[in-house]
Amino acid sequence: MRGALAIAKKELNVYFTTPIAYVAFMVMAFFAAQFFTGSVEAYRNFVTRMSPYEGQQMLEQLNLTDVVVSRLFASVGVFIVISAPFLSMRLVAEEKRARTFELLMTSPVRPFEIVAGKYLAALVVMAVSIAIVAAFPVILSLFARGAKGGSAVEWQTVGTGLLGLFLLGAMCMAVGLFVSSLTESVIVAALVSLIVLLALWVVTIFAVAGEGPLRDLARGMSSSEHLMAFLQGRIELKDVVYYLSFVALGLWLTDRAIEGHRWA
Amino acid sequence: MIEVSHLTKRYRDRVAVDDLSFTVQKGEVIGFLGPNGAGKSTTMRVLTGFIPATSGTAKVAGFDVFEEPLEVKRRVGYLPEYPPVYADMTPRAYLAFCAGLKKLPRPGVKAEIDRVAQLARIEDVLDRVTGNLSKGFRQRVGLAQALLGDPEVLILDEPTVGLDPLQIREVRELVKTLAGKHTLILSTHILSEVAMTCQKVLVIHEGKLVDFDTLDGLIAKHLPGRRVTLDDIAFLEEIYSKLVLPGGLQAASPVAPTSAASAATGGR
Repeated sequence: MRGALAIAKKELNVYFTTPIAYVAFMVMAFFAAQFFTGSVEAYRNFVTRMSPYEGQQMLEQLNLTDVVVSRLFASVGVFIVISAPFLSMRLVAEEKRARTFELLMTSPVRPFEIVAGKYLAALVVMAVSIAIVAAFPVILSLFARGAKGGSAVEWQTVGTGLLGLFLLGAMCMAVGLFVSSLTESVIVAALVSLIVLLALWVVTIFAVAGEGPLRDLARGMSSSEHLMAFLQGRIELKDVVYYLSFVALGLWLTDRAIEGHRWA
Repeated sequence: MIEVSHLTKRYRDRVAVDDLSFTVQKGEVIGFLGPNGAGKSTTMRVLTGFIPATSGTAKVAGFDVFEEPLEVKRRVGYLPEYPPVYADMTPRAYLAFCAGLKKLPRPGVKAEIDRVAQLARIEDVLDRVTGNLSKGFRQRVGLAQALLGDPEVLILDEPTVGLDPLQIREVRELVKTLAGKHTLILSTHILSEVAMTCQKVLVIHEGKLVDFDTLDGLIAKHLPGRRVTLDDIAFLEEIYSKLVLPGGLQAASPVAPTSAASAATGGR
């Protein structure tokens, strides 16, 4: 595992000395801030419209976390799907292009150590990206008070939401890593994984129009559909299994793709 | 130390290495000689486990390259044809990374980096960004990487490409100091280098072994009766052209180094 750690360290070194990770963080922070202020504004409008009338009881049931934080997280999901391909594109493809792949393959490390090291670094970057988003509920809790004097933010729901986003990010990175291991071109790697991940994200639109098995299939395949329960504060086994299956499949296929170089 | 038997490597319909067999004893320095595209790099890539052989076997230190790649890779330092350096890293960070890949004991890594940096003469550029270094320095950073951990076997693919004459001499000195303790295979098409550093010469042409012998053996075989000293490299050019050009110097094929050949005949 020493080899994997060395590779992870080097990848993080590269991530944070080149602009890619910073650009991804900035995009994430910028759009999350837009969605956050947008949701807070929508919430405020709603409350001021409701207040003069009989809405007092409704207002008490209105949940700040569901209206603001969950909506923010749902929007952030798209940006994870869009930014992940750019974070994962050069993981293996760049090594092949720069011919440093030969160094990795002639060093005494197993292919899986290469995969694990690269994936570990990718996960760290993804976690930082999601931690930026976690700042918004914290800001909200600093300025808002609950109806009964408690915290305005339900931290359990925030926690499951962040877990969901992290699992989504982990899935996107695993898919991106595999695609990156198939090509020498970082552009091709980014585009192909973007297409695959976006397709998985939006496949749920077939569920709206379709019915019966098609609808179930579309919902079952969609990475956005599986995020919903997390955003509502529930951890459901089927959703965890969905994301982790993609992680396992992605890592296994990457391992095979790298091992395959030794054979052909 | 290195046993290659009936090694063949085919890329689709092109045969890169054709039924190559040779043995290298421990401590020998072997010069790999051949025109461009003769299969030198391919053979080295098979020996280091980067690509598989189509048929035949290669063993390093008694381990089959394909069956027990990790055991082989642990014992081999390899400088590929293109130095595998990262443009965004400093040589120091790069060597530390390579030390991690080679799983060198952590406490000794710093001293080991200083040692190989001194051998490859890159002490002064250790903290600059590799992407800004000249080709010669990048080549030497790659060489330092191969020397990390003092491996028993060193496989150097054109170690002096891109170096200036003084640096070439330094690398030559380095190879001489490594000889004896290490088994070295180095490929080159600079003949003087072979004459000065290698004990044995392996000439391949179009993937086939043409001759494998000591320098004295080659002289005795191909230039009988000629008295040569090792400082004089023209004899090697002559032998080389005899081996690589079918029918000796008359039939010049497009891949053959005709200028070297004619220079050799002109000189004699």
